[in-house]
Amino acid sequence: MNRLLVSPAPHLHTRTSTMSLMRDVVIALLPTVIVSILFYGWREIMILAVSVISCVLLEYLITRFLLKRPNTIGDWSAAVTGVLLALNLPATSPWWMVLIGAIVAIGVAKMTFGGLGQNLFNPALVGRVFLLISFPVAMTDWGPVRGFIGNADAATGATPLGLAKEGGIEAIQHLDYLNMLYANIGGSAGELSAIAILIGFIYLLARKVIRPHITLSIWITVFVFSGIMWLADPSAYTDPIFNLLTGGILLGSVFMATDYVTSPMSARGGIIFGVGIGIITMLIRYFGSYPEGVSFAILIMNSTVPLINKFCKSKKYGR
Amino acid sequence: MKKTFSIGGVHPADKKISAGCRIEVLPTPQTVYISMSQHLGAPATPVVAVGDKVKAGQVIGEPAGFISAYVHSSVSGTVKSIGPRPDLAGNKVTHIEIAVEGDEWADGIDLSETLVTEIPADNRFIIDRIKSNGVVGLGGATFPTHVKLTPLEGKKAEILILNGAECEPYLTSDYRIMLEKPDQIVIGAAIMKQVLGGSRTVIGIEDNKPEAIESVRTAISRLQAKSASYSGIEVAVLKKKYPQGGEKQLIDAVAHRQVKSMGLPIDVGAVVQNVATSLAVYDAVMKNRPLTTNTLTVTGDCLPADRQKNYLFRIGVPFSFIIEQDGGIPEGAVKVISGGPMMGKAISNLDATTVKGSSSVLYLTAEQTVRKPESNCIRCAKCVEACPMGLEPFLLNKLARNGMMDELEQNAIQDCIECGCCLYSCPANIPLLDVIRVAKGDVMRAIRARSAKK
Amino acid sequence: MTTTIIWTIAILTLLGVVLAVVLYLVAKKFKVEEDSRIDDVEKVLPGANCGGCGNAGCRAFAKSCVDAMNLDSNFCPVGGNETMKKVAAVLGLEVKEKAPMVAVVRCNGTCENRPKVNDYGGYSSCRVKASLYSGDTGCAFGCLGCGDCVAACQFGAIKMNPQTGLPEVDQEKCTACGACVKACPKNVIELRNKGPRGMRVFVSCVNRDKGAAARKACSAACIGCGKCAKVCPHGAITVENNLAYIDFTKCKLCKKCVAECPTGAIHAVNFPAVKPKPATAAAPASSAGPVSAHPAAGAKEAAVKEKPETKEE
Repeated sequence: MNRLLVSPAPHLHTRTSTMSLMRDVVIALLPTVIVSILFYGWREIMILAVSVISCVLLEYLITRFLLKRPNTIGDWSAAVTGVLLALNLPATSPWWMVLIGAIVAIGVAKMTFGGLGQNLFNPALVGRVFLLISFPVAMTDWGPVRGFIGNADAATGATPLGLAKEGGIEAIQHLDYLNMLYANIGGSAGELSAIAILIGFIYLLARKVIRPHITLSIWITVFVFSGIMWLADPSAYTDPIFNLLTGGILLGSVFMATDYVTSPMSARGGIIFGVGIGIITMLIRYFGSYPEGVSFAILIMNSTVPLINKFCKSKKYGR
Repeated sequence: MKKTFSIGGVHPADKKISAGCRIEVLPTPQTVYISMSQHLGAPATPVVAVGDKVKAGQVIGEPAGFISAYVHSSVSGTVKSIGPRPDLAGNKVTHIEIAVEGDEWADGIDLSETLVTEIPADNRFIIDRIKSNGVVGLGGATFPTHVKLTPLEGKKAEILILNGAECEPYLTSDYRIMLEKPDQIVIGAAIMKQVLGGSRTVIGIEDNKPEAIESVRTAISRLQAKSASYSGIEVAVLKKKYPQGGEKQLIDAVAHRQVKSMGLPIDVGAVVQNVATSLAVYDAVMKNRPLTTNTLTVTGDCLPADRQKNYLFRIGVPFSFIIEQDGGIPEGAVKVISGGPMMGKAISNLDATTVKGSSSVLYLTAEQTVRKPESNCIRCAKCVEACPMGLEPFLLNKLARNGMMDELEQNAIQDCIECGCCLYSCPANIPLLDVIRVAKGDVMRAIRARSAKK
Repeated sequence: MTTTIIWTIAILTLLGVVLAVVLYLVAKKFKVEEDSRIDDVEKVLPGANCGGCGNAGCRAFAKSCVDAMNLDSNFCPVGGNETMKKVAAVLGLEVKEKAPMVAVVRCNGTCENRPKVNDYGGYSSCRVKASLYSGDTGCAFGCLGCGDCVAACQFGAIKMNPQTGLPEVDQEKCTACGACVKACPKNVIELRNKGPRGMRVFVSCVNRDKGAAARKACSAACIGCGKCAKVCPHGAITVENNLAYIDFTKCKLCKKCVAECPTGAIHAVNFPAVKPKPATAAAPASSAGPVSAHPAAGAKEAAVKEKPETKEE
C-alpha cells in the first residue's frame, strides 16, 4: 500500500444504496408484471417497453442536455417510474399515449423539480392522471385484449369499480372474490392480481425497503370506511372486501403511496398520510364522478407531505 | 425479553474475528512516546526533565486543571526529549520520549496476580488512588474517572452501569478481559458501587457474547459467596444493536431512563463506566498500579487469522511498532483505524503513539471503507430511523449546509452523539455526519457563548 | 349566457376594488416609519448583500450609516471608495478614502512543492477536513484544497487550479469582502493592499513549523530564516513563530526580499517583466490597464493615484 486513506468516522457503510432500493422495488413489481403480461400479452409487453425505455431515455436526455449534470439513470428510479406508469395504463393504450405519459411523468413531475428526491408528487401518478384527464375515453377502454392465458372475453369490458359506479350494486353481484384475488377481471395491468401485489409487498417488507405503516393504514381505513357505509346501507354501498381488492388500492398502497420521496418521513406521519389516502379514495369511489380515486387520493395527500413532516417529527431522545 | 435502547440504531455485521485470541503481552520497544493529553480536559504538565531516569509507574505528568489526569511512565528508562510530536491525526501534542532501559517499577506497586477482594472502607482513599493512578474512562471519551465518581452536590447515583456491550464491530478487547479477568472487573465495579453509595450495579453485555455473560455471571456468584460487599451486582443481557455502548443509549436500555438534552447521566441517577475502566479501577485501588497498560485488538478482514491479536500493550508504544510486531500492514488494507469502525479515528500518521484510550488497530479494505459518490437525498428516512437520538440527520445536513444556526439548534443538533448511524445507513452516500459534526461544534460554541454571557 | 359573463365580470371587479381598498387601509395602518435616507443610501450600494462590511446586508449597512451619521466605521468593501463617496453625498458627510484591498492566498503548496502523505476520503470541505486532522500533506498549516473559499465567494473571484490544487484569486473580480478569509479554516487567505497596478509582495506561506520540518513538508515553505527581514530597508518584515510576514502598510515594493528568500516563499505579483518603471508615470495610463475592465475596480484604480505606495523608488 502507498498512502493511508483518512476520513471521518464512520468507516463502514451499509450495502444498501439508492440503486439497490430501486432495484428491489422493480423486483417486487415483477410478479405483477408477469401476471399482466400473461393476461394482456404482446400489447402489455409493448406498453411496458415503451414506458420504461422512454422514461429512462428522457431522464438521460434531460440530465445530459438540459441540466448538464451527471446522469442519474443508474439509480433505477426512472425504471421504477416507467414500470409503475405502464401498470397504471389500460392494455389498449396506444404507444404515443404511453410516451406522453412518460414525458409528463419524468419531464414535468420529476425533472422540473430537480430530479430524484426533489419532486412533490409521484411522477408515475402525475403521468397517469394527466392521461386520464386528457384522454378519458382511451384511459377507460379496457379491451378486448388477447393474452397468453385466459380468454379474451374475461378481460373485456369495464372494471368492477366501473360496473359498480354505473350499474349499482346489482352489476357486481356475479363477481367472485377468489377470482379477484388471483386475477381480477378488467382494469389496468396493475389491478389484475392481488396475490402478485401481495408477494411484492412481502418482499419489500422483508428486504426492509418500506415500512408497513402507510400501506396498512390505507387498507384499514378503506376497510373501516366502506365497512361502516356498507353496514349502514348494503344495497347502496359496495362492501369492504370488494373495495380492498378492486381498482388501484393494492398497487397504489404498496408501490406508490410508499414512494420515499413523496411520503412522510415518520411512522406517525405515514399513518396520517395513509388514513388520508383511504378516506379520499372512498369519498371519490362512493360520491365522486370517477369510479376510482386512488391516484387522486395519493396525489392530494402528496401535497400535504411537507406539512405532515413539519408536524410529525420523530420522538427525540430525552425530550 | 432482552433489553435494548428504544430509539433508532443500526445492525452492522459483528465481525468479532479476533474473539478467540487470548490476550498476549506486547514486547516493549526501544523508545516510547507518552502523550500529555490522553484524557478529556486540560493536557497534563510534564514534571520530569530531559535526562531524568524514570521508573515504570512513576508520575511524569501532573493534571493541569479540575478535569485532567495524572500521566505515568509505562516503562523504565531515560527521558530523551519533551516536546510537540504529531498525534494520530497529525496535530502537535506534547510528548515525553523515553528510551527504555530494563523494566524497573516504582515503589509501592503490587505487580503480583493475586486477587485482592477486600474493598477498602475509606471512600476518600479510593478516590485518591483512582486519581493518583491516572484512571480515565476507557470506553472512548477518556473522561477522568475520579471526577465522574465524585458525586455532584445534591445528586445521587441510583444505578451504576458497567458497559460491556462492546457494540462496535471488530473490537474484542473488552470481550477478552471479561473472559480472562472477570473477577477483577466485578471487584472494580464493587469498588465504584461503594464510592457511589451502594447503588444498584448492572453490567450490560450484548447477547452476541454469551461466553462473556457466563464468565462475568460466574465471577459475580463466586465473589458473592465470599463477601457481602458484592451483593446487588447483576448482569443485564442486551439485544445486540449499535450504538448500545453509547452512554445515553445504555442508560435507556438498562434503566429505561432518558437523559435530558445537554444533561448528564447523573441527572437521572445513573453513572456509566466501561468494563475496561473497572479493571483499571481494580488495579489502581487494590494494587496501586497506575494506568500504564491497556488491551488492544489488532484485527481486520484482510488480516490473516494467525495475525489477529489481542495485545496487552504499554501505553506510549507507537502504532508503527505494534504493526511491525504483528507482521506489517496486511495486503489489501487501505485504512488503519484506532478504535471501532463506527466511531474510531483513521490514523494518518503511523508513528503516532498509543494512549490510554487506544483500543484497536483495525485494518479496512478499499471495498469496505471507500466512500461512494454522493447522490440526491431520496427522503427515504433511513437516517431518521437509524438515529439513536431521534434526530433528523437529512434535515440537519440541509440546514448545516445553508448555515442556519437557529434552526439547527431548534432541531436539536446539539444532542447528536456522533455515532455515525446516519452516514452508515444513507443509501445516497450523503456525508451526513461529516457535515453535522462540524455544524454541531458551531452550535455548541454558540450555546456556550450565550450561557457565558448570562 | 351573456348575463353570466356580465355578472362574473361585475363581481370580480367589485371584489378587486374592495380588496384594493382593504390593502390600502392595511398598508396605511401598519406602515413602518423609516428614515427615507436609508432607502436613498441603499440605492447607491452594490446590492450584493455579501455581508463583507460586517452588516447582515446592504440595507443593514445603509441603516448603520444613517444611524451613526459618520462613515468612519462603515465601509463597503465591494463598492469601494466610489460607492462610499456616493453614500457620503447622500448623507452629506465626509469620507476618508481607503486603499483597495484584495484577497491573497498565502500558500504555494502545489502538488510538486508539497507531496501528499495520505489520501483524504471524507466530505470535500476544508472545515470538515481541518476538524478531522492536520491534512493530507506534511504541512499542518497550509491550504487544504477542498475549496471552501470558492464556495464562499459570491463574486466568482476564486477558482481552484486543478494543476496546483490551490485556489487562485481573480483580482479583477475580487471585491475584498472577506468571505473567503472567514471561510478558510487555516487562515491561509488574507486581505492585503491591492497595490499600484496590482503590484504587491507577500509571503506565500503560513507554516509556523521550524525550518527543517517546514522544508521537509513543502519545498516552497517559509523556513523562518530571517534573511528577508534583514535585507528589508523599510522594516516591513517581521519573523515570528518561524514565519515571515510583510506589513503591507510599510512595504515599498523594492523586492529585495524576493531575491533573498532561499525557498521562493516570497511572491511578487503583477510586476512588469523588465525592471519596474516609476509607477507615478504609469499611473495615469492605468485607466487603460486591464484592471479597468470592472467598473468598481476601475474606481479603486482611480483612488490608487493618491496612494503613497505609488511613489516607488
